[in-house]
Amino acid sequence: MLNRKVLCLSLLLVAGLALAGAAADTLTLYTAFDADQALPYIEAFEASHPDIDVEWVRLSSGEVYTRIQAEAANPQASLWFGGSNTSHIAAAKAGLLEPYKESLAWQYIDPVFKDPDGLWIGLYVGYIGIVSNTEFLTEVGAEAPASWADLLKPEFTGEITLAYAFSSGTAYTTLAGMLTAIGSSDVGFDADDEVYVKAFSDQVGQYNTSGSAAATMVGLGEFGVGMVFSHDIIKKAIAPGYPVVMTFPSEGTSYEIGGMALIKGGPELETAKIFYDWAMSKEAQDLYQEFFRVPLNPEAELAEGLVKASDVNVLPIDLIWYGDNKEAMLDKWSEVTGEY
Amino acid sequence: MKLESYRRELRGEIRRLARDPVLLGIVGVTFLLLAVFIVFPLIKVVQHSLWPQGTFQPKYFLDFFQKVYYWRPLVNSLIVGLLVSLCATTVAFVFAYGIARTNIRGKGLFRLIAMMPIVSPPFLIALAAILLLGNHGVITDLLRLDWDIYGLSGLVLTETLAYFPIAFMILEGVLSKIDPSIEEAALDMGASKLRTFFTVTLPLAVPGIASAALLVFIRSLEDFGNPMVIQGRFRVLTVAIYHAAVGRYNLPLGATLAIFMLLPTLMIFVVQKYYVARRSYVTVTGKPSGIGLKSTERHVKIPILIAMCLLSGVILLMYGVVLFGSFTRLWGFDNSLTLANYAYVFAAGGQYIWDTLKIALIATPVGGLLSIMIAYLVVRKRFLGRGTMEFVSMLNFAVPGVVVGIGYILAFNTPPVQITGTALIIILVFIFRRMPVGIRDGIAQLQQIDPAIEEASSSLGAGFFRTFTRVTLPLVAPAFLSGLVYIFVRCMTAISAVIFVISAGWQLLTVALLYEVDQANLAAAAAYGYVIIAIVLSAIVLMRFVVGKLFRGRLAPLRGE
Repeated sequence: MLNRKVLCLSLLLVAGLALAGAAADTLTLYTAFDADQALPYIEAFEASHPDIDVEWVRLSSGEVYTRIQAEAANPQASLWFGGSNTSHIAAAKAGLLEPYKESLAWQYIDPVFKDPDGLWIGLYVGYIGIVSNTEFLTEVGAEAPASWADLLKPEFTGEITLAYAFSSGTAYTTLAGMLTAIGSSDVGFDADDEVYVKAFSDQVGQYNTSGSAAATMVGLGEFGVGMVFSHDIIKKAIAPGYPVVMTFPSEGTSYEIGGMALIKGGPELETAKIFYDWAMSKEAQDLYQEFFRVPLNPEAELAEGLVKASDVNVLPIDLIWYGDNKEAMLDKWSEVTGEY
Repeated sequence: MKLESYRRELRGEIRRLARDPVLLGIVGVTFLLLAVFIVFPLIKVVQHSLWPQGTFQPKYFLDFFQKVYYWRPLVNSLIVGLLVSLCATTVAFVFAYGIARTNIRGKGLFRLIAMMPIVSPPFLIALAAILLLGNHGVITDLLRLDWDIYGLSGLVLTETLAYFPIAFMILEGVLSKIDPSIEEAALDMGASKLRTFFTVTLPLAVPGIASAALLVFIRSLEDFGNPMVIQGRFRVLTVAIYHAAVGRYNLPLGATLAIFMLLPTLMIFVVQKYYVARRSYVTVTGKPSGIGLKSTERHVKIPILIAMCLLSGVILLMYGVVLFGSFTRLWGFDNSLTLANYAYVFAAGGQYIWDTLKIALIATPVGGLLSIMIAYLVVRKRFLGRGTMEFVSMLNFAVPGVVVGIGYILAFNTPPVQITGTALIIILVFIFRRMPVGIRDGIAQLQQIDPAIEEASSSLGAGFFRTFTRVTLPLVAPAFLSGLVYIFVRCMTAISAVIFVISAGWQLLTVALLYEVDQANLAAAAAYGYVIIAIVLSAIVLMRFVVGKLFRGRLAPLRGE
């Protein structure tokens, strides 16, 4: 009776595993932080809240948005931790987020860094930088690109890497900066933008799914030049000691507000609020030192070597507009670049 | 007149089924499962593509032919698929011939090496390719090469290495099972060895070659992991579908692209099925037969041996560099050794390891039993809709993983069967994705067993169930075991369908690995890869031991282990 034996055996195994898997209070969250950066936060949270067990999935911020949209009828997670706030804004517009104006942090934080209805809140700020591999630059005899115009130089053809604008908040923020810096219109595509965006896309050697990958790729020398947030460039390429140099587009660069939000109808909203409050506390925001992000809690410690607003030419980008019009912008981007 | 005889046949059919209620029940349940978990998701894909809001709106369908960025990925996928199919089948044939039909030494070692891409996530090869042949890979720097691995060449190289073992498994089975007395007959009649090879051996192997080539073509077409890592600007359809459905949540577009991925694979599936179906498989009978003919001539052996060594060397190099990479502090820059990457994997991925194991341990026995049962029904039993059952159950063989994935989220996100976000949906994906291989192996095995053996059991008075468990199952033990191993291994290594159905509560190791590669955390990705390999290898050893005990040591050696 072979099949009966196999069946019994597997049932026993399953029962054993099910017993082992029993847990306390759970919080399910989606994070757009890289897995190795999300882990320290989640471990610190679990250490200070031993009764809460955090289950988390790492997705790019565009993917978090689509995941929440897909699950709207039956939400699986309660909190969205990290990622560029253009995706949070798009989700707020789509009615996918739960307001939390009662949080202490929402009361004191600068209005620029929060949703007026409490649908999302800023965790940190970041600026898009250009990371170049110095060995590559020596090899082709080029200066590190330091403007949007430089990026179109022939020596960088096929050597630029960044993420797809639809999957990565980093890349969408880069696109918003590109559109703001080039041409005369403040928002959206004008004729100059179309020409530039097409020419830029033709320079790209590989599009990634996740935004920060480009920093390491350039560090490794797989590609010459990448467009990434400065904190990721410092953390993932400069701090480890890769031969890279960081520059910023002289015409001005774009910035993100790393956001956090409660997911409407999430199964563990009360537990999620505990994490939310903790994530805005000095204790949690101090952890950003390790990753060179600019914390938004004014009491939090800043890392040495951090890039602040005063260090770069930051464009006045209408992040709310770019969040609201994300779908239309992405369609236009596909039309112009031929990439999907 | 014709109608009358058909009616009579139908009545006889129903009477026969009614007399055998066990068979009737099993057939009914099987059909229900196949309808819900194979056919229904496919219907949903078509529905979402052509009737996105309930009305007929083939917008994306028409757009597909007009917008280059929609159809180009399909053309790219087909190019990659054809090249990979050609390369992998050729390589696999040489390898299989060397092992099955020559007397070279070290066959066990060669077989072990050939199996490495099977026991690891296939896209681990892409990771290795970047480490070795990337713009700043070890070999690239050493030989000062100037080539671009990101694109077509990288895809063909990685997928050939990743998928030739599948072809090898099939071809080794086929080549070693060809009845040597047929070849001996040719030789006795004065044909040269070469002539015998081309007029007897090769034609006998053609069905095997065809199914190997088909399988590799489909696996390449549906490959998701390697292109995600190494496609460069050579965009393939699977990644486009993933980005459409998961990246942008444009399900009608994703479903439309999925249809265009499904069409070529279905076409090839049907053609191959009717081609292979005409050829008889019965070469093993209850009667004893001789041992396969082995080529011993040096001019045959030496070139084959060299080719095999070369390929094995490449594979060892690739897995070696990934193993080394998993212990480096900072790959490519600070190559001092550390265990930090493994510590990270167990800290960040500990839960994934458990989740993946739990899912695999449920999907494996259920899928294994279900597939051997369907194979048995199809080969040995006469009942209404037998051909349909075989076709439907084998359908997922031809349906690319991303199509299954998108079909499952479309079909099971709303009642009556609302199971997205659960472990169940992942388990079901694994079972119904992997069943076709178990069924195919089971069918092939059963077709080679003379029904007379079972008839003997029946005529001695044993019923259906007793005959099935006491005679048939032990005889198909190798197929059953390799079915189990296959399902388990794919649970641990597959990504293309399940990436659509994972959730916060249920994550898989392969997905974690893919994210690490995507974020270019190559050392962490390498460590994830070796954790998976370690689990798979220990499971294979354990499973062999357990099933061996159950069969009281009557187990045939596992091919493709």
